[in-house]
Parts: sequence; C-alpha cells; structure tokens
Amino acid sequence: MSVRYGRDLALEDVSLSVARGGAVALIGPNGAGKSTLLKAILGLLPLAQGGVKVLGRRPEDAREQVAYVQQADTLDPEFPVSVLQVVLMGRYRAVGWARRPGAADRREAMRALTEVGLADRAKDRFGTLSGGQRQRVLLARAIAQHAQLLLLDEPFNGLDATTTDVLIEVLARLRGDGVGVVMSTHDLAVAHLTCGDACVLNRRRVAYGPIDQAITPGNLAEAYGSRAVLLASEATIVTTAD
Amino acid sequence: MVRLLVEPFRDAYMQRALIEVLLLSGLAGIVSVYVLLRRLAFVGDALTHTIFPGVAIAFVAGQSLFLGALVAGLLSAVLLTWASRIPTVDQDAALGVLVGAFFSLGVVIVSTRQSYTADLTALLFGRILTVDTAEIIQTAVITAAVLVVLALLHKELVLRAFDPVAAEAMGYRVMALDLVVNGLVALVVVAGVRAVGTVLVIALLVVPGAIARLVTDRIGGLLVVSVGAAALCGYVGLAASYEASLNHRVRVGSGATIVVALTVAFLGAATVTTLVRRRRPAPTTPQADPVPA
Amino acid sequence: MTILQQLDSPLIRRALLEAVLVGALCGAVGVHVLLRRLPFFTLALSHAAFPGVVLASLLGVSVYLGGALASLGLVLAVAAIGSSRRLEASTATGVALAGAFAVGVLLQSAQSGGSRDLAAFLVGDVLTVSPRDLATTAAFGLIVVGGLALFHKDLVFAAFDPVGAKAAGYRTAGLEVLVLALVALTVVTSIRAVGTILAVALLVTPALTARQWTDEIGRMMALSALFGALAGVGGIAASAQWSVAGGSAIALTATGLLVITVAFQQARRALLPGGRQPSGVTAGRCG
Repeated sequence: MSVRYGRDLALEDVSLSVARGGAVALIGPNGAGKSTLLKAILGLLPLAQGGVKVLGRRPEDAREQVAYVQQADTLDPEFPVSVLQVVLMGRYRAVGWARRPGAADRREAMRALTEVGLADRAKDRFGTLSGGQRQRVLLARAIAQHAQLLLLDEPFNGLDATTTDVLIEVLARLRGDGVGVVMSTHDLAVAHLTCGDACVLNRRRVAYGPIDQAITPGNLAEAYGSRAVLLASEATIVTTAD
Repeated sequence: MVRLLVEPFRDAYMQRALIEVLLLSGLAGIVSVYVLLRRLAFVGDALTHTIFPGVAIAFVAGQSLFLGALVAGLLSAVLLTWASRIPTVDQDAALGVLVGAFFSLGVVIVSTRQSYTADLTALLFGRILTVDTAEIIQTAVITAAVLVVLALLHKELVLRAFDPVAAEAMGYRVMALDLVVNGLVALVVVAGVRAVGTVLVIALLVVPGAIARLVTDRIGGLLVVSVGAAALCGYVGLAASYEASLNHRVRVGSGATIVVALTVAFLGAATVTTLVRRRRPAPTTPQADPVPA
Repeated sequence: MTILQQLDSPLIRRALLEAVLVGALCGAVGVHVLLRRLPFFTLALSHAAFPGVVLASLLGVSVYLGGALASLGLVLAVAAIGSSRRLEASTATGVALAGAFAVGVLLQSAQSGGSRDLAAFLVGDVLTVSPRDLATTAAFGLIVVGGLALFHKDLVFAAFDPVGAKAAGYRTAGLEVLVLALVALTVVTSIRAVGTILAVALLVTPALTARQWTDEIGRMMALSALFGALAGVGGIAASAQWSVAGGSAIALTATGLLVITVAFQQARRALLPGGRQPSGVTAGRCG
C-alpha cells in the first residue's frame, strides 16, 4: 500500500510514500502545509500537479479505508451525542445508508473504546470528557473504522500523560496489524517513538526518509527558519512569534 | 379548564384547524431538532422572507400561492447551499443577501397591483381557520415525505452536524446533505405559512427544539420533547385564540396565540430547568486533564 | 420620465439624498456586521423593532424611541437566553425573535387596523421623505460614523482576535455592545428609507461586495460605503424611471452590484489558474 503525492502552490513538489505498517511523521512549522497535505491525501483538494494514490486507487475511492483523526477541540462540547455514538460514527460507512448500526457494530465500537481505556464512559455525553479523553474517543472512532491508512493531525498537542501513552500503544498495535500512519506533529520525541520515517516540510519538502536521517538540526533549521528553538536536546520544538 | 380545551373544537372548521395545527406541529417539531443541531435558525427565518416573491408571482399570475411559495423556497435552498461554498462568502452573509434580494423582488412585483394590503396580512399572519381538507392533505403529504427523508438520513445528518470534517473525510458529500436539510426547512416553511404566516413560522421551527434542548441531552429525547411541545402549544394556542375572540372580544389571530404559547413554554422550561440544575449540579462542565505530559 | 428630468422635484432630490446617506452609512457599518457574523442579529433587530413601533404608536411616543427600546430588549433577551451554554447564539436569537413577534402581534391586535402602516414599516417609503427625516438621518449617521471612527482600530482588533484583545486588556464585551448599539441605531435610521427587512440587505450586500475586492478593513469600509451610495442612486433612478417601490429598487441594485462582482471574480479565477485565493479576513488555524 502506498501514498504518493506532489503538488504546487500551498505545497510545492512534495512527495512521500507510506508502506503497509509504515508511519511517516510530518514535521514543520504552522502554515507549512501539513494539514493541506493530509487533506490532499483524503482527496479533498485539487492538485495542481502530480497525483495521490491510496491503496492503488484514487483517494475518493479509498475513503472507507482511510481514517482521519482531527483535533478534538474543533468539536462542539455541548452537542447532544454520547461517547459511544461518536465511536459508532466510524462504522457508518460500513453500515451504509438508511440502516442503523447493529449489535456487531456496537461490539466493534466497545472494543475500540476498551482499547483506548474509555469503555466505562460510553454512555456519557462526549462533551463531558476532558480534552485528552475526547482525543482518545476520536482515535477509537478511527479504530472502529478498521481503516488501512490512518491520518492524524497534531494528535499529541497538549495531551496528558495517560492519553499520550494510550496513543503511542494504539499506533504501535495498528502498525503491527499493517495499518499505515501519516501523522503531523511538533513533538519530536513522540515522532521518534511512533514513526519510522519523517517528512520535514515548509511548503516544499526539506527532507524525507528514515526518521533519524530526516530530522536533523540542520533540516529543522531550514524548515523552521531562525524561529525555531530546540528544547531539551531535540525533544520538542518551540517557535517564537513572528 | 377542560371545557376551555374541548369547547372550541365542536365545529368542523375548528376541527380541521386543529388537525392542520397538529400535523404542522409534528412536522415543525421534528425539523426543529435538526435546525437546532445545525444552527439553522437564520436559514429558517430567511426562508420565510425569500418565499415572498414566489407567492407574489403566483398571486399576480392567478396560480396556486402554495406552488409559488414552494418553488421560491426550494430555489432559495439551492442558492443558499451553493453560495455558502464560495470561500469569501459565509452562510450568514449569503442569507442576508438572499433575504434582501428576494424580498425586494416580491415587493416590486406586488406593488404593481393596487390592493394588496389585505392579502399581505393573510400572508404574514396566516389564516388557519379557513383551512380546508385539500390543504390538510397537502400538509399530510409534505409531513410524510419529510419524515421519510429524515428517517433515512438521520445518522448521516447527525454526523454532519457534529463533525463535518469527519463526514467529508469518510466520503460523505456535505454539500448534498446540507442541500437536503435546507430543502426540508424550506418545505416546512411553505407548509407552515398558511397556518401561522411567514412572520411566525420561524417560532415553530426554532422554539420547540430549544425547549427540548433545555430539557434533555440525548437526540432521541430531543425529538420526543420537541414534537410534544410543539403539538401542545399548537393545541393550547388554537383554543386560546378561539376563547379570546368569542368570549372576551379580543381579536387575536391563532398564529399569534400559538407563538405566545411557545414563548411561555420556553420561559417555563428555562425557569424550571435552571432551578432544578441549581439544586443538583450535574457534571456538565468538562473535567480538567491530569498533569500534561 | 427619467431621473435627470425629475431632479427638479424637491421630493426626488430629498429621496436621492436620503438614499445616498442611508446607503453609505449602512455600507460602512455593514463591514462590522459581516466581520462579527451579525446578519441574523440585524434581521432579528429589524423584526424586534416591530413590537417597539406598535407600542410607540399605542403609547403615542416617538417611533424611533419605541424601536430603540425594543432593540435593547432584544439584545438583553438574546444575551439571557444564550447565556445557557446549551443554546448558542443563533438559536437564542431565533427564540428571542419569536417572542418579540408574539408581543408585537398581540399588541397590534389590541389596536385595529394598521396594515397600511405595517407595510410601510416593512419596506420603507423613501419617496415621501421629509426634510426633517433627512436631518434625523444625517444626525444619527454622524453619531454612528463617529463611533466607528473613534474606536476603529479597537473594534477591528477585537473582531479578529477576541482572545488576544482580552489578553491585551480590552473590554471585549463593551466593544461588542457598542457594535450592537451602532448597528441597532443604523437599522432604526434606515427604516424610513428602506424599511426593516431591506435594512438588512443594505447592511450586508454592499459590505459583501466590498469584501470580494479587498481584505483590508479600512478599504473595505470605504468601498462598501461607496457601493451602498451607488445602490441608493441606482435605486432611486430605477424607482423614478419605472415607478417601482423605492426601497426595494435600492436593495435590488445593491444585489446587482454584488452579482456582477462575484461573476467577475469567478471568471477571473477560472481564466487565470494559479492565482492566489483570497484569504479569509478572520485569522484561522495555521498548518
């Protein structure tokens, strides 16, 4: 399975590929085009040049096999939906139009919730959970989807220790099962822990390859410009304001 | 008290009015939940204005006003959904433009006729008491159609309301889903105009859902409470207007009394739920995360 | 008779002046209505003015006062209802609007007749504007424009970045109230010329048109005022030429300007690919 990609403008001439069970970390400052890249893999953006192949198909045809985990704080905490219902949403495509999720779907959803450690909160309203817990619920939703490619947008931002551990374990388990992962992040320590490859970018590809080779102080300086400050020997990147 | 609620409905015309009101309340009550979830109150209000040129053209051409309203309503829904996708135009602005353009078009058309003020009143405030069987059947058909569509698309509509990004990522066409909902709201507006008029149908589309949201946290509950509140207020409002006109010499349109009933119901629900919540503070605020990594 | 021939008539001259004043005023204020997502609230304001006007005529006080009081009532109602986290702004506005309507319609039933006045209230009657109306418009307009100018940079900052503005020490709630008050005053001022519903059109359409041409707020306000004034002129001209309702002609002209602009921009985008897409005016998420 692979994803290949290249385009102009917001992102210029970027290409990368993800193999079965592989994981690529997208590293770059805000505005570098990481979210754009993820959206392009989903087939949600027109490409000026080049193409995206997901599982050998066009992105539009492969969406059932691709799960996208965005940042949980974009969702309305007052929305009247339960944790279980959110996870079930991952099954909707499999369930199909005009049908309701069945017992088997519920079991899948509960299995996913158990894996992220939130099975006991299944009936609670989504918004009553903490930020980290909500992020885990979105991860459970992606798990329940049984996708072959997982896209995550800054999943480790501001998370508590429990959620971070759960996330790392789940990603490792999924990779072991052959799921490919593309993940944008600022957290280099976590990137090293979870991903085999890295793509350092800032509107164009600065570096790409095995993570130890791609993430170097030189490459980071090139991508982040003089605004980057490395803390605690390559653990996290902090950018100063413009 | 019971006499007040039963007495008005002895005559056939009041019975017909009641059936129409109950049908509409059921319809509006259900759609009101989706209006709440998708924050479409403005869409509903805008549609009550944008159907005006359709009615005006139909009036001038001697055609069915209902048909004119229907065409204008669905056209507005299409234009609105399309316009919202332009990057520099957001939905609120698009609605404002549509209201201005369509309503002024309607005024221009109507002003070519001299005597339109009486019809204007009926259009604005409705005339439920003269509803006939044919109109009831029309309303019933619309209600059935809307309910079928909502039943088929329910889970996708909820997903889109909650998380449009995920819906798009999973392959759903958000614009198509939005078009369907906007269209359904337009249908309810058109159906409701006759009973309570354009000016007040927005109340039927917004208040029942709001009452339900105050009372419950679950979508199933929202639907039940919303329909119940709408039906109850419709019933009480109709009875009250009859009572006021006949026995107290106060000429009040039933559209107005139904909306008053809805407002009172909302205030009541708000008061009760606020007091109850103050007694038992439930954990509605999100818990804080433990120490960050 | 064309507009040029009719310019001899003082009635037409006044109508023209009123239309230009109201158009320009609404254009300028309209940019803030767009920035802060206030079109629905503005429409609700114009609806809420309705019970105020009925009440004013019942009590025999100035129509402007009644309208202003009702607008204030609406703002308070929306704030109260929306303070429950379960109901967000547009739902709260819808409920408040329904309540306001109910009150207005009930009051109206208490007095017989009034359909005629209602029509004028809804769609305005610009061709019968008196010198006193003109003076009132000019006076209110000056107040609104003065308020906008005085607080311009603060308003823009707070609209873009409410969190940042609060951190910087601004009283964002106070600024919000200021904008709402200015919008309400503008709506009340415009009722005479274009009526309540079309006041929304003038507050949204020219601003949206200006938005298609520029990202910068100051320029947008100037352009928007220009488009509003143009709509006023065009509307009165059309009204004089074809004997159509004045307020509606103004609103339709404003819409026409928008349609032409959008068509132009879409054509330009289609013919020249690779051009920079206009960015959002409000700052969004990065990355």
